[in-house]
Formats: sequence, C-alpha cells, structure tokens
Amino acid sequence: MHLHNVSGGVLAGDRLALDVEVEAGATAQITTTGATRLYRHREGAADSEHHSRFTVGEGALLEYLPDAVIPYAGSRHVQRTEIRLGRGATLFWWEVLAPGRLAAGERFAFERLRIHTEIHAGSRPVLRENFLLEPVRQDLQATARMHRYSHLASLCAIREGEPPEFWRTLENRWSELARERTQPEDAVWGASALVSDGVVARGLSRSGRFLQEPLVQFWRAARMAITGRDAVPPRKTY
Amino acid sequence: MISIEETALLRLLQLADSALAIGGAAHSFGLETLAEEGALAPENVESFLRVYLREAGTLEAVYIRRAWKGGNCLALSEELSARKPARESREASLKLGRRFTELVNGMAGDVLPAANLHYCIAFGAAGAALGIPLDPVVLAYLNQSVAGLVSACQRLMPLGQAAAGRILWDLKPELAGACSASYAEEASCFSPYLELASMRHGSLETRLFIS
Repeated sequence: MHLHNVSGGVLAGDRLALDVEVEAGATAQITTTGATRLYRHREGAADSEHHSRFTVGEGALLEYLPDAVIPYAGSRHVQRTEIRLGRGATLFWWEVLAPGRLAAGERFAFERLRIHTEIHAGSRPVLRENFLLEPVRQDLQATARMHRYSHLASLCAIREGEPPEFWRTLENRWSELARERTQPEDAVWGASALVSDGVVARGLSRSGRFLQEPLVQFWRAARMAITGRDAVPPRKTY
Repeated sequence: MISIEETALLRLLQLADSALAIGGAAHSFGLETLAEEGALAPENVESFLRVYLREAGTLEAVYIRRAWKGGNCLALSEELSARKPARESREASLKLGRRFTELVNGMAGDVLPAANLHYCIAFGAAGAALGIPLDPVVLAYLNQSVAGLVSACQRLMPLGQAAAGRILWDLKPELAGACSASYAEEASCFSPYLELASMRHGSLETRLFIS
C-alpha cells in the first residue's frame, strides 16, 4: 500500500494523522510514494506535525517502509510514531533521515526536527526514541552525534514473544552484515538486540545512496529468520 | 545553592566515588570503538564529553530525578532500557545497577528493591532513601559518570593524569547544565554515532573493556 498523505510534502502548520490497524492474522506492507519533504516554517504557524499510530493484532505482520524524510531549509517539524504489537505480532520498520535538499545546496539548513518513537511488544516498551535536531543550536556533526556523517537510517525487526536467544542469533547475523557493509569513508553500520522481542540496525552515511541496499539486506535476513520467507520489496527502484 | 546535612554529604561522597567497587572500570560504553577508529583522541575528549552530557547525560539525569521522586523503579528501568538500543551499553548500565544495589543494601539495609535496575535509577532511589537532596544526587552521579569515561580514555589513548584532571575540572559547568536541563523530566537524546560505537564494540579484534 502506498500512502499518499505526505506525497505533496508537509507544510508549516500541517497536522497529519495516520491510524492503522492490522487485524489478527493479517499482513500489510505500507510505504510512501516518495520522500517526505518538510517545507519551510511560516511565521505564526505551528511546527508541522505527523502522527502515525499502528496497532498490529495477534499473529499479524506489518512492514512499514516509508521513503526518506527530507527537512527543507527553515522547516520545523515533529514526527510521532507509535506502534503496538499484539501477541506474536511481527514488525519490520525502517526510517531514513536526510540532512536536507542536497541538490539545492541545503544541508542541515532546517530549523528543528523532533522525532518521537514508541514501540511496545505486548505491554513491554521495546524501543523509545526522542530526538531533537536543531542545527542552529547544536553541532549535529559532533562526534557524539552524527560525527562526519549526514544521513541516518534505522531498521527494526520485532516479533512479540520470541526469546532472547533468538534475537542474539539474529543480532550476530546482522552484525556480520553490518561489518561487511561498513566502509568508514562512506557508511558505518551496527546492529543490536533490543531489550526484548527484537533487533535494531542503524547506519550513518555521507550520502543517501549508501543506505538503501544494506537496509534491504538486513530486512531480507530478518524476514527469513523470523517468518521463514524472503522479503518482497515494494514496487519501486532503489 | 545547595544545603546538605553532614552525614548525607559524606555518604554521597562515598557512593559517588568513581572507584566504587561495582566494576565500573570494565566499561567504556562504546568509547573504546571511537578511540580505536581515531574518532576520539586526547584533543577532542573534552568537546566529546560536552555533547555527551547534553544528550545521554541529561537523559540519565532525568531518570535519576524520577527515581529519587518515588517513581516505580522497575517501570522506569524498563522505559530506560527501551531508550538504550545498544545492547552492550544497556547491559553495562544494568550490571552496574545490580552491583550498586547489592553494595548499598549491604551497608544501609534493604533500601533498594532487589530488582535489576539501571545504575542511574538505583542511584537516584538510593539518594532519596538516604536523605540526600536531589540536585547533589544528580550532580554527583554525572560527575562520577564522566570521571569514569575520562578514566577509560586514559587507558585508550595518551591522556595523562594532569590533562585528564583538567578535562574533568573544565566540565563542571556542563555537569551543572545537564542537571538543570533535567528539571523538565523528559529529555531528548540524539547520539547515533556513540550508539553505533557501542553496537560495534563486540566486533573489535582486541578489547580492553567489556562494553
């Protein structure tokens, strides 16, 4: 399913909400038609906001694979993502953040980007993120933040109820892939088991083109391990 | 300005000693990876720690504050675990928390729950149980936390005693800043390269540290 709600870009003051329920036993793959472009903030308008909520029922599968978020110069945006997984439910979710409209020479020219993420497996919190990126007030390329890189990618693979040993094995497999895909000049990858119920892979790169292929590789490896079936990428060229 | 009763102060000084026997010296929290790759070197340790305090430091200060104020420590620990996606650093924090709990309960009676708590949460709860005011608890924790990281750096690169001491001395305003920033009781934390360093630590060929 290709979402159209952000295909025109997100304007200052926009409030977008997405509520998805994947019923027990169902399967859904959701992506966007293209990158989510965040436009310049307008005087007097609130920060734009995009709130997505996903509920995945018992034994269901959700693959939420949006295209990159590109914050244009002067934009101010809040992105909230909440995902709740029922018993035995599975999630594959990736996100890619670009530093701006590079073709127009914009790089970390946005004003503010807030990213809030909460993923629960059953009643357990498994991933929680609260990022504030404010290039004017912070050095985003400080070593403790993005170092010399400009693009950030994350992928989570979660299935409620799988035991820790399962995730350690997948973490090892993903770490192998991460080592293979790491070339410090271009991109750095790492992977880790989450506190329970899943694994996360993260990548930092100096260009968007170093991110997509590894993300698909991680996704395929995890999907095979978790569901016994290979991934089917959405119909677009990566 | 802070006013603190003498026994409380002395207990805090003991608990906030970065050489407290809880195994802290075995952990670099990902700094070993950074040093190994040349991203962290004597000339940028201080600026690195400044940013660290604004991101991860403030986050931990928030959890100290919430624990001190009587929050459910187990629930707080579960929440904080979800905010620490890098396994080695997360497990290090829980291991230190467990050893700290055993140590404190051994000396002060069962003031902390036996559950496995993150170090900063156990520290906050202990502070409250021992009658130590909140801000000193937060400041002392951050101080020993940063001292531990600088100590790790001394083993990872040519950083001498005087230079290390100077870094810790110069970071005091940042420590105070992280403490103030934590009054909001919610903190953003954006530190992907450091998280990656922790995730990749297990892949280093030779390692001095467990994390």
